[in-house]
Amino acid sequence: MTNRTLPRLLQAPAVILLLVWMLVPLGMTLFFSFIRYVLNNLRKPEWTTPSIDNWRGWGNYEYVLYKAKDFWMAVENSLFIVGGVITLTVVLGLAIAVLVNRSFPGRGIVRVLMISPFFVMPAVNAVLWINMILDPVLGLNGLAVEGLNNSINSLKDFPVLGHFFSLWPTLEPISFRGTETSAIAVITMVTWQWTPFAVLIFMTSLQSEDQQQKEAAILDGANAWSQFRNLTLPHLARPIAIVVMIQAIFHLSLYAEIEIVSRGNGNKNLPYLIGEFASNNIGAASATGILAVVLANIVAIFLLRIVGKNLMD
Amino acid sequence: MSALEKKSSFGRVFWPVLAWTAGLMFFFPIFWIGFTSFKTDADAVKPEFLFAFTPTLENYVNMTANYDYWRFARNSVITSVFATAFTLFVGVPAAYAMAFNPGRHTKDILVWMLSTKMLPAAAVLYPMTFLTKNFLGIFDTHFLVIIVLSLINLPIVIWMLFTYFKEIPKEIIEAGKMDGVSVWGEIKDIVLPLAWGGLASTALLCFISCWNEAYWTVRLTTTEAATLSKLIEGNRAPEGLFFGRLSAVSTAAVGPIVVLGWFCQKQLVRGLTFGAVK
Repeated sequence: MTNRTLPRLLQAPAVILLLVWMLVPLGMTLFFSFIRYVLNNLRKPEWTTPSIDNWRGWGNYEYVLYKAKDFWMAVENSLFIVGGVITLTVVLGLAIAVLVNRSFPGRGIVRVLMISPFFVMPAVNAVLWINMILDPVLGLNGLAVEGLNNSINSLKDFPVLGHFFSLWPTLEPISFRGTETSAIAVITMVTWQWTPFAVLIFMTSLQSEDQQQKEAAILDGANAWSQFRNLTLPHLARPIAIVVMIQAIFHLSLYAEIEIVSRGNGNKNLPYLIGEFASNNIGAASATGILAVVLANIVAIFLLRIVGKNLMD
Repeated sequence: MSALEKKSSFGRVFWPVLAWTAGLMFFFPIFWIGFTSFKTDADAVKPEFLFAFTPTLENYVNMTANYDYWRFARNSVITSVFATAFTLFVGVPAAYAMAFNPGRHTKDILVWMLSTKMLPAAAVLYPMTFLTKNFLGIFDTHFLVIIVLSLINLPIVIWMLFTYFKEIPKEIIEAGKMDGVSVWGEIKDIVLPLAWGGLASTALLCFISCWNEAYWTVRLTTTEAATLSKLIEGNRAPEGLFFGRLSAVSTAAVGPIVVLGWFCQKQLVRGLTFGAVK
């Protein structure tokens, strides 16, 4: 047995499994995206079986890109949700990581509390937030607004200031299942779940920050903000890039949250749109799928380059 | 006292308080489901009972009657445990070979493996349904869920193990080779004992990821192999009438995993960033 045979043999099962997992379904999606393939069609029953005879060329792509009304809305929404979550998690994550990186009483407990949301299963996360927290009537959202209205009403009875408070309108709680707001609800719950991820990574990275350099900066009279701006932030550049890209890849395929919040009402993203197409028009679903793969790969290439670079050292 | 530790007395109180506030705010929603799970369904939606109520265990006692909880929990345990075991079974030899006998293409293979993780699941949903339902006949079986969970976690597991194995000094392996230790003996007697902590946290992370998976487990099952994700997703709109019982079942579904997560939080970063942040 030569020197290379055994390592190859040991890797073979993993490589073969992943190769099959990637190539077979993706190959089928690619094929389906170029043929007419629908699950129910009384007029053209031949379209209900996948066959090369139903070749449609770029037709499915044209349909998805130019005719299906939801595609661009879904792209826009995907980007809005991903962009919103990434911005919030990075900003919050930086602030909290710097905060928790100092030593203070109970730091270990705060760390544990802080990281917990990351382990909550997405389905529970969504059900919990949309029903028990954000619901305009029964959730804490509704209760808080009602409490606020009640306290404003009681202030109206005051002799002089009461006049001012009577101008105050009665507040209406926002419903987060609506067309306009459901994306906000999704961003809120995903930010809650993924800020701990950013905090954890930034904190790990902060621990390797050069303390002597920092002390020197303090002795030179640098204030906290300029220390953060000129030392900490550059040190965290790579972790930030990684947090951004990993989240982009994960959140582009959000599904459970979208489904649970509004069943895609006004708030479809690409995976949700694919799911909708797939209830009948497999050709269009597959074409959308290939477009989603292209979108994810644009991000993935950058991520893999960074991750691969320092792999062997 | 070094310059770093010099703080004003205002800062000594303010920053810790702020840190605690942030921690408690992030934990609050989890506390809230735990808290609500001890209220009756009627009490749970009444503002006057927000904090003043008689705690009850009835939601936990009735979990089987209300939701058939244990059937879903059993499926979650079976699929997560076997998927983790299978992933390690395939992943350990591969990571071992890549860490100790890297070839010219090892780096490319690793990066390629990771790239399979970046394929949006929705893109291949229909082919998977089609293959498993019409062709292989394994739709809605434990076997299918175990295989799919293994495959989606395999790249991460190999990456994590690879970074742990890389930290073992090559000389130890070489010495073992000199003494004529077989490959299996090398893995069993040298690599695994030395990388035991890494192996454990890899397994834990893989288990958590399997347990929480909410795309394939929902879409490739109906009843037989349905996991807790499917159970919760099925109760997405309880119309507010069942907050108590829904909280109990949610707490039971996430509680153990959150606690498990606390134990591996230190090693988590490596797995989540593919070794790029240490």
